[in-house]
Amino acid sequence: MTATETVALREMKSSSRLQLSRGMKTILGAFVLLVIVSALVAPSSVSKGAVLGMLPFAAVMAIIGLGQTLVVQQGGIDLSVAGSVSIAVVYVTRLPEQDNHRLWKAVVVAFASAIIVGIINGILISRIGINAIVATLGVSSLEYAVIMAISQGSPRRTTSLLNRIAANLTLGIPNAVYYAIIATIVVSVFLKMSVAGRRFEAIGANPRAGGAAGLKVKRHQMSAYILAQLLYCFAGVLLGGILTQPTAYQGDSLVLPSVAVVVLGGTSLLGGRGFPAATAMAALFLQQLNQMVLALNVPFGVRTLVTAIALLGGIALYTIKWSLVRERIASIVSSNSPGTSSGKSKKSNGLASA
Amino acid sequence: MTRTKSRVLKVASSVGVAGLLLASAITSAATSHAAAAPSWCGPKKITAALTDGFGGNSWRLVTTAAAQDEASKCPSVTKLYYADGQGNTSKAISDIKGFVAKGVKALVVFPDAGKAVLPALRSAYKAGVVTVPYRVFPGGTDGVDYTAFIGSNFKQAGILWANWALKNLPAGGNVLFLSGPAGNSQGIDEAAGFWGVMKSHPEFKAIGAQPFEVTNWDPALSQQVLTAAIAANPKIDLILSDFGPSLVGALTAAAKTGWKIPAFAASDGNVLGCFWQDNHAANPDFKMFTVSTQNDHARLAIDYAVAKATGGKLPTTTSYPSYAFEDSVSGKPSPVQCRKDLPGDVYLSAQMSGDLQAKLGKK
Repeated sequence: MTATETVALREMKSSSRLQLSRGMKTILGAFVLLVIVSALVAPSSVSKGAVLGMLPFAAVMAIIGLGQTLVVQQGGIDLSVAGSVSIAVVYVTRLPEQDNHRLWKAVVVAFASAIIVGIINGILISRIGINAIVATLGVSSLEYAVIMAISQGSPRRTTSLLNRIAANLTLGIPNAVYYAIIATIVVSVFLKMSVAGRRFEAIGANPRAGGAAGLKVKRHQMSAYILAQLLYCFAGVLLGGILTQPTAYQGDSLVLPSVAVVVLGGTSLLGGRGFPAATAMAALFLQQLNQMVLALNVPFGVRTLVTAIALLGGIALYTIKWSLVRERIASIVSSNSPGTSSGKSKKSNGLASA
Repeated sequence: MTRTKSRVLKVASSVGVAGLLLASAITSAATSHAAAAPSWCGPKKITAALTDGFGGNSWRLVTTAAAQDEASKCPSVTKLYYADGQGNTSKAISDIKGFVAKGVKALVVFPDAGKAVLPALRSAYKAGVVTVPYRVFPGGTDGVDYTAFIGSNFKQAGILWANWALKNLPAGGNVLFLSGPAGNSQGIDEAAGFWGVMKSHPEFKAIGAQPFEVTNWDPALSQQVLTAAIAANPKIDLILSDFGPSLVGALTAAAKTGWKIPAFAASDGNVLGCFWQDNHAANPDFKMFTVSTQNDHARLAIDYAVAKATGGKLPTTTSYPSYAFEDSVSGKPSPVQCRKDLPGDVYLSAQMSGDLQAKLGKK
């Protein structure tokens, strides 16, 4: 490792540990606000039953979001979430056919298949250079072909063991929540405290600089897709346990939210630093938002709109440069008042740097 | 370990098979039957096709098999092709056009995408193919846009639920109805049937979103919707669902929090029957009534299309009836059925036996 690289890594370490990221502060604040609003306008959505019902789904979404974070911070995007989650659900329900003794083998097959899919994604994108959207969509379709072949489009009921593992309560909290917390801690520690993780993050921040510093850029990009698949698979296995009678396409509705939680957590879609804990928090936020809108008892169309507006607001928080907006407003105000001349030049500055 | 290996190999080989299947997307059904031909089977030899807008769940699997079994009763049908639109409207349309080009004489279509496939149906009909859409109304008119639409009287299902509720919940109560996608005509008709009867019974009150809670028939969404509804309504006396089996996960999860399952009126499924058997003792209010899930609706559509194309006798009706199946209270027409030895996703109300259905998924 070169001296420059060591210094750079040390700097990154000190900047990322301990203090809360901007994304975490924002999403934490938004979540607190959401809970207050929920308690005021739809009190039933923060009742014990509703929260217990919401948490397992938030946990699954958090784990998927962690995987997507790893890919997004390498400047990629992974749309194979749909196929990968669905296929994991199908493996762990279809292969054991409700026989607890055959469950662990099904889980092994599911994770093995996840690694293969991750390698295929990684090769297509980092080695062959196919656009990530195209490659992962294609791979997702292939996974659907496997799903059809294994299940004829209909998975079986979950085994009772998996249902207990995923959906039972421990100390009054659904088990899935513990798994999500563990996954978040593991990914955070890996990214923020291990040498491999720091290299991974350095490449995400600037692949060229990483390459110039002697880091294996392609290998790290590929590893992102493999690690992401492992997380999707984990989430799929849990989801299979939570839903006693799942369908063959359970991952379909999870693709967009998986990207949404990454963005809400403050990780840039252009790559760079990743914020796993904030992503997990964003998953909790998004699920509570759904729960609140459900409890409001508004028509389905309005429900979708509210969620969309909240997402738009969340994304606007990060993508709009609020300092420039403030400057611009200030300049408009000051140009309207007599005796100032700096308004116009400030405005053009703002536009140029935006 | 060797078992795991062989399983991996099995999976790998099935990928190849799936590829081939998807590439052709067309399979043919066996068409030999020794018994005397039914009256709807005329003398003219034809090839026919069945297209599905979305074939990816166990209900469709059984329904398609029912249609193939029905067609095999008529020796005049020399071949029945099948294509699955896989939830993709443009594929569903090109499947229809493909079969017309192939020269089939009768075409039975499950038009999931509704009006979006009407132009394709019309052009098939204008090309002289007997075109029979069924179950989902695609718009249009019999004899103008297609030969005939074989619908089902979903209102009747709602009426059956209502009559059962009147008998078994004499004090009335709060009713929560969960159906599929927003605005689906099946759910709207069922709600109309149910509340039509309840007009003169104000003791029954609708709770939750109206005319029904949207679940897309997706177990995950159903679970979230039910959780929210339970939290918002401490008193639910009757739950209605037109895809009963998809609610089993949601009910299990809710029961874990100490909530007591109320009366339940739905469509049947083995998983639901077994769920009732396992849980009714602990939940004294959990009485259950199901209407048939109507896998055999496809048979009527096949009968009609084949009769028209082969010169057989047309069925007397173009509407498939809704009928009661299980009643946990009266045991009529059948007590709740559960076959633990069979997978959860077989439908015991179908003509095809549960054992045969279980084999379908293992091809």
